[in-house]
Amino acid sequence: MNSMSFRRAAVAAVLSLTLACAQAQTAASELSVLSALPIAVSVAAPVLLLSAGASLTVVAVEASATGTVCVLERASDGARASVRFGAQAAQQLSVAAGTALVVTAVSTGWVLSTASAAVAFIPNEIGAALLYNERVTR
Amino acid sequence: MNAAASASIAAALLAAAAAAHAGRSCESRPPRVDGVERSMLLAQHTADALERSGAQVVALARIGQNLGAYGVRFSHMGLAYRETRDGRPVWRVVHKLNQCGSAQAAVYRQGLGEFFLDDLFEYEAAVVVPAPEVQAKLLPALRDNARLAQLHTPAYSMVAYPWAQTYQQSNQWALETLAMTQEPAATTRARAQAWLQLMGYTPTALHLTAMQRLGGRLTAANIAFDDHPNAKRFSDRIETVTVDSVFTWLNRAGLAGPVELIR
Repeated sequence: MNSMSFRRAAVAAVLSLTLACAQAQTAASELSVLSALPIAVSVAAPVLLLSAGASLTVVAVEASATGTVCVLERASDGARASVRFGAQAAQQLSVAAGTALVVTAVSTGWVLSTASAAVAFIPNEIGAALLYNERVTR
Repeated sequence: MNAAASASIAAALLAAAAAAHAGRSCESRPPRVDGVERSMLLAQHTADALERSGAQVVALARIGQNLGAYGVRFSHMGLAYRETRDGRPVWRVVHKLNQCGSAQAAVYRQGLGEFFLDDLFEYEAAVVVPAPEVQAKLLPALRDNARLAQLHTPAYSMVAYPWAQTYQQSNQWALETLAMTQEPAATTRARAQAWLQLMGYTPTALHLTAMQRLGGRLTAANIAFDDHPNAKRFSDRIETVTVDSVFTWLNRAGLAGPVELIR
């Protein structure tokens, strides 16, 4: 397994509780809401598992003190990957064992999605440099 | 509708709304794959453009929704600055975010990715580069959480009156914080606002009808009009801080260059 650690545990660790509803942008009252796409802190996966178009199935979602680990299995050969999310980001994670996901490769990382929606973002090095989240005031 | 009739209807409806707890939960709309891709690409392009600019501090805006009906292009702004992490340059944005359509907001420090990871109406960013002396005064404050919190008021209204301190919307926080860093005496919101008036800042006047105002107050916890002077409220003039008005003023006052667009 290749382990890619982005050395920035803060990426997803500081998302606030208020994220639960932050994607709405439809009403004129929501000019400045917070985004809520769960962002992975690290991923341990065979190099080619996160390739464009790969079909994955969520095998397990394991909560721990440091966050949540999603175990993903590639449909074609059973290869597995572990993707870790910080505790707060994990609250936004809308997948469960059995959820089917598709990988979309983009210049900044990989988007995991169901048929209808993006459910998580796994940054590569370029993406990781663009991501940071810290709540400054209470 | 005359002002008296409008005021009495407003009072009746506001009372009803208060009893019903004006506000609503946020609808959760899952992000789309292409939206995530385009947002992150815009963040990447913005980082590249900011590196090429040679600036250390910029004012940065996004287009979260279509405000064309109000003559406004950009919906939300933050103050971005350059720092070095693990030997590599990164840009951070400090900005104020409303919490799920509630009447509260908080200040965040985020990456360019989070800044644009939103359901954008247009995938275009606007950047204004402040004059070097303006940047030099801003930079230490943007790194300092205590200073970022100094003029922050949690009570949020999307159309907060620019010359009152009851509420504070996101662009207003950025503008007042900028004022605080430029004028040593601007240690409170009232003083920052006084400096902005002295420097000729002019807010945008939104022309909202009484029914639009009532609709806003009834359906959203984060819109209030009670901080606006009655004379303006009841003449359908709602003044508030918009990105467009801030960028125009910064340039006119010689504090920053023109608006640059990034796609």
